[in-house]
Amino acid sequence: MKRLSKGSLSILQGGFTIVFILVIWEIVSRVGIVPKPLFPPPTRVFGAWIEMARSGELLRDIQASLWRALIGFCLGSVIAIFVGLLTGRIKLFSNYLSPLIQLLRPLPPVAIIPLVIVWFGIGEVSKIFSISFAVFFPVWINTHVGVRDIPKTFLWSAHTLKIRGLAILWKVIFPAALPFIVAGLRTGISIAFIMVFVSELAGASSGIGYQIYSSQLAYRMDRMIAALVLLGLFGALADIGLLAIIRLVFPWLKLSGQK
Amino acid sequence: MKGNQSPHIQVSNLRVQLDQHEILHGIDLALQRGEFVSLVGRSGSGKSTLLHALVGFIPSQGQVQTPQDMGIVFQNYAVFPWLTVRGNIALGLHGAKHPNQEIVDNHLELVGLASEAHKYPSQLSGGQTQRVALARALAPNPEVILMDEPFGALDMYTRGKMQTWLLDVWEKNQKTVLFVTHNIEEAMFLSDRVVVLGDGSVMGEHQVLFDRPRLESIKFTAEFIEQKKQILESIEPAYNS
Repeated sequence: MKRLSKGSLSILQGGFTIVFILVIWEIVSRVGIVPKPLFPPPTRVFGAWIEMARSGELLRDIQASLWRALIGFCLGSVIAIFVGLLTGRIKLFSNYLSPLIQLLRPLPPVAIIPLVIVWFGIGEVSKIFSISFAVFFPVWINTHVGVRDIPKTFLWSAHTLKIRGLAILWKVIFPAALPFIVAGLRTGISIAFIMVFVSELAGASSGIGYQIYSSQLAYRMDRMIAALVLLGLFGALADIGLLAIIRLVFPWLKLSGQK
Repeated sequence: MKGNQSPHIQVSNLRVQLDQHEILHGIDLALQRGEFVSLVGRSGSGKSTLLHALVGFIPSQGQVQTPQDMGIVFQNYAVFPWLTVRGNIALGLHGAKHPNQEIVDNHLELVGLASEAHKYPSQLSGGQTQRVALARALAPNPEVILMDEPFGALDMYTRGKMQTWLLDVWEKNQKTVLFVTHNIEEAMFLSDRVVVLGDGSVMGEHQVLFDRPRLESIKFTAEFIEQKKQILESIEPAYNS
């Protein structure tokens, strides 16, 4: 009998757990242990997906949410990495900016949404701003610490190799801080999906978050759960995708044991 | 003749103060062109501090005359993990006038890593990684190589092999080398001269007169063991202080 590889075995084990949970869920719902309208079985949830796909809502909502998450995540991350490089490397920037950022950091990003709606309205700008704002902090703090704590010997080696100015930033400082930046980006991408949901609760006419909210109003638990599963699925896929891209562009990170 | 030229490195009354504490108390040291000198002493005697002050990594007082181009090799390698072996060696070769790839290839051959050129440091052994560090320091053709306990993290067997290999490389390019170690046997095997540092001051110097090229077997000769004993006796006060 052919033996399974470690990877295939772990996929099989993970798949088994999911199938097991789905079966239990189906039984619990069908037997009536819990009220069926409140806890529809997975087959009903699957039916809701089919229904949403046929009406075009599924594609529209996925597109809207992924677009917001992507733009918000990219904007927040790029700004955070740039500011983190400055505050981690230049004492003057750190002195001026770090206290302000530290003051804003404990703010729950969700709390700024009412203010953001007043400032930017209920359109795309307010949603993307909220997501970017939330993504900024974990990416910034990781970049800041990564850049600040670069081993001295890396910088000294660069000095003796006569790497100066901007070259030291791109050839030494950025890659040296990359393991920290990647950790920040992974936290940031999870937060981006939380913020997509939250920002779509108010003033949205499309998106997975909007679908969850409107399904609740219509008392359609099957559609609500279907949208929730989608949100979790895309959050996980985004993390896997981000790691795959990072491993492709920076293969040494994977080789250094970066998970 | 090394002794007849003006010194390649000249240090007079070098003082280093860190956190209001004087680490080096007026060091005088001279290295001739092409000389291999080792600095020995117990931990905290100021060996690495002296090296760092020479390159200007830390502020110092006194007179320091060194060439502009100096390469450095650290104990923890400081090889960049995001670059391949080839990338690390090529990093210091900026000038368009240099035929960079040829220099890189030559140094890959020199350190015996031509077949590992595409690998990342995490895929190499400790000894191989240290060879990359040395090739990287040598590639821009500096006049002086400073080595800060480069074999300190290696096991005894690899360390012995690396010492023989380093001598082989040094005999090919005859750079001026200042080598920091706390291993007296290593210092004697590699150097023309051993300088003993104790508590931030030079405590003594010992000429090592064994013929070159040296084989590892000299470490077991009576003359080698006798001189090692003399050096050990001379640095004993530093260890007891």
